[in-house]
Amino acid sequence: MRKSLIWTAALVCLVGSAAWAGDTIKIPVASPFTGPLASFGEGVKNGALLKAEEINAAGGINGKKVEILLEDELCDPKEAANVATKLAGDKDVVVVVGHLCSSASLAAAPIYKDAKLPAISPASTNPNLCKSSPYYFRNVYKDDFQGAFLARYVDEALGWKKIAIFYETNDYSIGLKNAFVAEAKKRGLRILGEEAYTSDTTDFTPQLSKFKMMKPDAIFIPGYAPQGTLIVSQAAKLGMKVGFFGADGLDDDVMLKNKDAEGLFVTTPFLPDAAGPEAQGFIKAYKAKYGVEPNWFAANTYDAVGLAAEAIAKVGLDRQKVRDYLASLNSPDKAYKGVTGATYFDENGDCLKAAFIKEIRGGKWVSAKKQLQ
Amino acid sequence: MFLQQLVNGLTVGGVYALIAVGYTMVYGVIELINFAHGEIYMFGAFITFHLITVYKVPFFVAALVAVATCAVIGILLDIVAYRPLRNAPRLAALITAIGMSIFFQNVALIKWGAQIKSYPLEALPPFFSDVAVRIGDVQVTWLQVFILATTLLLMFALHTIIHRTKVGAAMRAIAQDKRAAALMGINVNRVISFTFALGSSLGAVAGILVGVFYNAIWPTMGYIAGIKAFAAAVLGGIGSVPGAMLGGVVLGVAEVFGAGYLSSQYRDGIAYAVMILVIVFKPSGLLGKAMIQKV
Repeated sequence: MRKSLIWTAALVCLVGSAAWAGDTIKIPVASPFTGPLASFGEGVKNGALLKAEEINAAGGINGKKVEILLEDELCDPKEAANVATKLAGDKDVVVVVGHLCSSASLAAAPIYKDAKLPAISPASTNPNLCKSSPYYFRNVYKDDFQGAFLARYVDEALGWKKIAIFYETNDYSIGLKNAFVAEAKKRGLRILGEEAYTSDTTDFTPQLSKFKMMKPDAIFIPGYAPQGTLIVSQAAKLGMKVGFFGADGLDDDVMLKNKDAEGLFVTTPFLPDAAGPEAQGFIKAYKAKYGVEPNWFAANTYDAVGLAAEAIAKVGLDRQKVRDYLASLNSPDKAYKGVTGATYFDENGDCLKAAFIKEIRGGKWVSAKKQLQ
Repeated sequence: MFLQQLVNGLTVGGVYALIAVGYTMVYGVIELINFAHGEIYMFGAFITFHLITVYKVPFFVAALVAVATCAVIGILLDIVAYRPLRNAPRLAALITAIGMSIFFQNVALIKWGAQIKSYPLEALPPFFSDVAVRIGDVQVTWLQVFILATTLLLMFALHTIIHRTKVGAAMRAIAQDKRAAALMGINVNRVISFTFALGSSLGAVAGILVGVFYNAIWPTMGYIAGIKAFAAAVLGGIGSVPGAMLGGVVLGVAEVFGAGYLSSQYRDGIAYAVMILVIVFKPSGLLGKAMIQKV
């Protein structure tokens, strides 16, 4: 009895390993899947898995199935470096999709560079990221573009002149703030004050009380949604009547549950109702699978995984060749056509993507009436 | 500005005080820093949320059930994780406490997901968002009044329990000398369970109040609140209940004034600097008694 069990187990192992060994293509997706920013990672995970499922349903890459490795790094630079080291040492990995947070990407970049391992970030918008390494690409716009775009928008579309800034002490937030301030100064907007908070702050009343005295038209929050939602609530509790706006970091459905966030507007790389026909199928499939509308994290990751898969399909499992292929997508006619539009790269590995403005009306994200092009 | 900041500081401080009491009581009785206490606070917020959203229970009923559940979780935590280590080296229990904290966080992540949740507005008592007092530019909402009143009321009740009841006397006896207390016929384990239940209930109340006040709850919310409250307990003198209250309020006010008047970037740094300064000049904390080493 015992013997036959062992034989059976051995047989299962043999058959099993024969079925799996070496005929999947691993595409790691590095993002925070647990921890305080895990809610962003959810969109990343869903977008990646949906794309992999579609690729596999269509026969995989050159007959091989795609396997998404979800690498959790908590949006923590130290963890991101660990994950990057692990991936750099894995011979089966030829391209990485990640990371989400700019701080994490900046920490991982030198490790990928040393290992000559190309990476595509679907969400890191810090201006210095792709410049720092020939192996880093992204399919999202940069903060200098995003920050300047916001300054243009409040000036031209809304006519707000007095702005207070409430930023988080991290790479993403500071890069965005600096870009905004530079453009705002050019336009003669008044920056009344800049206050900072750390990622584990939950009480923002002291800084808000300070802002209240200054009577700004609006408060700019170049941070992430978990803190953003607390900031707008606490401002309301202090009886402040100001506008709020932020960047892609505030683009999270948690904001919709907050009645005080009515009227908040943000930049976004992806608007479901403004997306082209290409995107409608993706939105439908995503809704069917997960029961919610895809956010921009999901859309950008979906495209990043598609881009990675296409590169492997074209040039095979070779890090350098994949990198060179990505770098060769350098004009609109060579671009990868995805659900977020056309992705092609400049000499740094940055891409040009349009930015849209959406706002919260009646507890829903809707396209802002005025879009700047 | 000054008055508004003071109100802000007292609100934050009151919550710290509620959590800090749980740390200090458990420490007083078994000399263990219960690092999973922050997660009990988080469970208080989440269980209330769960009852309101899934079972449509009225807010105050949900809150009471959540507090009772957290009391039970506190007792079980002690029985499962700490009791077997009662006579083990202290570090073993400390590591276990940290392990339990991570375990609880992940239970919540699995059960409720990573997304920030907020209480549905219609479920909350409507008076919460009304303004109670307005002096010039300063606003105090009924919710803030409610938080401060609840904190004071619970502190008073706690003081009464510790100093006016039999079980309170037993707690104080165990804090002095566990073995002697047992020899006098005190059921040590039962009293420790009671201490955990009491501390956990207060932690749960703090979690619910914070969840309502900030209108946001998430599975890792207990971590930083726990660290802050632990600092408050140390500041007040670990093991001293009035000390924990005072420590919480001092820490809250220091933090808010530091952020409002000095630099918001160093806000946490300022709070901890205040704590370190106190510890340097008075190692036993604000109201702690100098321990006499028993030989």
